[in-house]
Amino acid sequence: MRTRVVIAAALLAIAAALVLAARPHEATADERVDRITTELRCPVCQGLSVKDSPSETARQMRDLVAERVREGKTDAEIGAEFRAAYGDWVLLSPPITSWSGLVWLAPLAVVGAGFILASARIRGGTPARDAEPTAAQLAALRERVAREEAAEG
Amino acid sequence: MILSRALRIAIVVAMLGLVVTLALAFRRDPHDIRTGTVGKPAPAFTAERLDGTGTLSLSDYTGKVVVVNFFASWCLPCAQENPALVHVYERYRGSDVVMLGVVYQESRDSARSYVKRMGMSWPAIADDDGRVALSYGVFGPPETFFIGPDGVIAGRHIGPIDETKLIAGIEALRREATR
Repeated sequence: MRTRVVIAAALLAIAAALVLAARPHEATADERVDRITTELRCPVCQGLSVKDSPSETARQMRDLVAERVREGKTDAEIGAEFRAAYGDWVLLSPPITSWSGLVWLAPLAVVGAGFILASARIRGGTPARDAEPTAAQLAALRERVAREEAAEG
Repeated sequence: MILSRALRIAIVVAMLGLVVTLALAFRRDPHDIRTGTVGKPAPAFTAERLDGTGTLSLSDYTGKVVVVNFFASWCLPCAQENPALVHVYERYRGSDVVMLGVVYQESRDSARSYVKRMGMSWPAIADDDGRVALSYGVFGPPETFFIGPDGVIAGRHIGPIDETKLIAGIEALRREATR
């Protein structure tokens, strides 16, 4: 009985800890700056985010993001400001609604088309059974087998 | 084969569409990176003049053709394009065409000495925090923007620009303004 109570208490404690850990909490200004700059592409780097780049341009972009966060702008408004200047290119994950979304959609479309093609072939491509041989064909076949057996001795 | 004729045609059309899209994308000049600013109102700015004589606002030049050039003394292509900028500035001096320089990621002192050495007599502004460059979507100097009398960015050139392209860009905007 006592063991069960201990196990139940432990499970409750774990559940409470999970609920506490998973509860939504308001991001701090620094966390927001990190989150936004992680999603922005550094314009003078090769595939680096603004957060990770040591370049002067990235530093200026981080400063601008921090200032906008202090001004109370939302993440979307800050992202829109950079998109207005640099286009969707400035986002490391371009929105799927834009022209660049083709990069994501095209492979899916090709795979889908291939799947349709392959499944149609599998379903419809099985060769039809040959028609039953005629009596004459059977007789000719038997005669040939008998001839070959005789030849083999 | 049970694939309907319509489905087969649809697949072929989709494939062709993909090929055409990719072909068009690969045909584009990689230097012609279209930022969001072209075709839109030029971002407003007010900044300190490099010569220390106060501030300068883009709105001061409303109704004129404005050529905004981002430059730096450490940028070799900037020095390469400078004679073309000087010639064009002299050609349109006192007209409805204005040339503005924006210092890109450089100290004011070294930019001042560069401007003096290169004979750049048009107004230049300091952009210490890079806000002007960021608002125009600049990737690196030299970059030149053509702003029409209506305040809209009509064109953008990445890399060193020559006299022919400068004059062509300016004249296109002047023609449009007189229509």
